[in-house]
Amino acid sequence: MVIQLENVWKIYQMGDIQVPALKGIDLEVKKGEFLAIAGASGSGKSTMMNVIGCLDLPSKGKIFLGGDDIAGFGESKLAQTRGQKIGFVFQQFNLIHTLTALENVMLPLEFQDVDTPTARKKALEILNLVGLGDRVHHLPSQLSGGEQQRVAISRALAVDPEIILADEPTGNLDSKTGEFIMDFLSEIHRNNSKTIIIVTHDFYLVKRAERVVYLKDGEIERIEHKPKEQGGEFA
Amino acid sequence: MKINKSLKLAVNIIVHSKLRTWLTIIGIVIGIAAVVAIVSIGEGMQQNVESRLGGLGADIITISPGGGRASVGFRGGHGGGMPGSTATSATAENLTKKDVLVLQSVEGVEYIQGIVSGRGEMYYLGEKATVSVEGVDPLVWKEMTTSELESGRFLGPSDYNVVIVGGRIAKDTFKQPLTVNRIITIEEKAFKVVGILKESGGFGGDDNKIIMPIKAARDTLEDVGSDEFDSITLKVANTDDVDPIMEEADKKLMISRHLTEKEKDFRISSSQSIQETMSDITQTMTLFLGAIAAVSLLVGAVGIANTMFTSVLEKTKEIGIMKSIGAKNSDIMMIFLLNSAIVGLVGGLLGICLGTGISSLLPFLGMRLMGMGRDGMTTVVTPMLLIYALLISIGIGMVAGVIPAYRASKLKPVDALRYE
Ligand SMILES: Nc1ncnc2c1ncn2[C@@H]1O[C@H](COP(=O)(O)OP(=O)(O)OP(=O)(O)O)[C@@H](O)[C@H]1O
Ligand SMILES: [Mg+2]
Repeated sequence: MVIQLENVWKIYQMGDIQVPALKGIDLEVKKGEFLAIAGASGSGKSTMMNVIGCLDLPSKGKIFLGGDDIAGFGESKLAQTRGQKIGFVFQQFNLIHTLTALENVMLPLEFQDVDTPTARKKALEILNLVGLGDRVHHLPSQLSGGEQQRVAISRALAVDPEIILADEPTGNLDSKTGEFIMDFLSEIHRNNSKTIIIVTHDFYLVKRAERVVYLKDGEIERIEHKPKEQGGEFA
Repeated sequence: MKINKSLKLAVNIIVHSKLRTWLTIIGIVIGIAAVVAIVSIGEGMQQNVESRLGGLGADIITISPGGGRASVGFRGGHGGGMPGSTATSATAENLTKKDVLVLQSVEGVEYIQGIVSGRGEMYYLGEKATVSVEGVDPLVWKEMTTSELESGRFLGPSDYNVVIVGGRIAKDTFKQPLTVNRIITIEEKAFKVVGILKESGGFGGDDNKIIMPIKAARDTLEDVGSDEFDSITLKVANTDDVDPIMEEADKKLMISRHLTEKEKDFRISSSQSIQETMSDITQTMTLFLGAIAAVSLLVGAVGIANTMFTSVLEKTKEIGIMKSIGAKNSDIMMIFLLNSAIVGLVGGLLGICLGTGISSLLPFLGMRLMGMGRDGMTTVVTPMLLIYALLISIGIGMVAGVIPAYRASKLKPVDALRYE
């Protein structure tokens, strides 16, 4: 599914003053691409992720997902898109802390009305894949940061979405654990040909992507292309 | 999302905020318990009235002297056997033979009799008591009364100085129980007891009466004119006709006594009309008390709403998370609505248990409220009451949860996710 941004603006109203977080972004992300978004703090990276992920609507401009303008989506269509097409991975993991690892991973499937046995089977499969087969009944508070992020990635993968959006997925992890998470995301990209967009500060992690978009003050400063082979190699 | 999944998430929220949830539930428990207990008192009174008035017989119409519709009540009941009726009759125009003749012509009347009544001094084995005496038509009375004989016989046509004794007088009034063939003295006249009645336990029954032939009563009681009656009772052939016959009797009496509506000096009542009046009274009272109890329910509802607002606020981040992984507004709404419905349901269940418990204890607490007599108070908890109470509590839970749940569902995903 192709993602297209056409002159996308996001302007926050702070009392009387308007704070533009995105100022006319034009970008196209191809199906199966591994894209990184880099830039200083406050440059608008998260804002951009949120509008791509249908968590927020742009103030101006158009966003096309697979050719459809999301401005025309109603609330439930947006929710459906988030639930079926997009998997989110957040810096703070954002697990539901009263649900076990397994229940967390099953939750997106349940919002899509997948029956319990199927959802359970699928969730266990993915949790095994990320090496958490023996932790499925743990609550998030009983898991390490790296383990929690692996649960979060499992949750993002549960509905088999076309796009994975990861906003600083390694930001709260030590470098070794971060490395592991990134390896895993790269593997998903390679094996499942999913579109992956990650936001990161980390220079080394940036190098894994096929293309890097540098943001500055809400505008695209430059775009760096890398040959596809190198994308994984640099790891 | 399927409802059972929403339910699971709703339960999950409740399980993880136990203390707050319980505190909220207590509010509903108290409200529902109060309503159940109070309504059960009302129902009890209702049943009490019904069973006690049962002694009157559904097919009996009573005409007694005294003006005004306002006085239609059980005091005007059967034959003026209650104290007070004779006092009224002294001031009002008494009923006469002519009235009996007039009433006899009303269609559908099977039996009719004039009754004289009053109070008299009674002696038995050296003990004295004041009793209600009723002089009746010996032949007609046994056809009209609902009382049954415990022992002995009914009055016969040639009886004069014999009496039938009400069950309670026979058993409780004197040290030595009265039995058939004993001689008693009433107003210095000797009578032989020929029958003892079974106790009926009702208001309108003959438990506290001495029944004697009307001739004997006229000679015994003071202030009883030779042509006058203290009340006239009719027995209708068909119970369904009680109301039209009452109307007809009323009309005919008004005409024959040359009265206008304002001057009306008699009243007509049936056990049905008395029952209705009593029901009205108890229902109004139940409604009034119930309304007071409902106020505590209102407080409980506000409690639920308050807890739900707190809960939504606390769950803001999770609402954002759920939305980011595909929850629709309706899913979020459902989860929080179910959450408050469960609070209502649990509160309702515990409330009806507590309410039923209180209601079954009330009679033992010796609360002889509203003069319900020597039996104290009865409370009745009907299944319908419990079902209503439960539905109301679930309803309150949901209504109280609507606004918080709506708010939760309308949260913007980005804003909710940013909330810490
Ligand atoms: N809800 C909001 N209301 C007002 N201003 C906002 C809001 N969200 C973001 N901003 C502003 O928009 C700009 C971009 O924010 P954004 O979160 O996208 O930055 P970022 O690149 O993700 O930064 P970081 O690396 O620190 O996460 C910032 O100046 C921020 O203050
Ligand atoms: Mg950010």
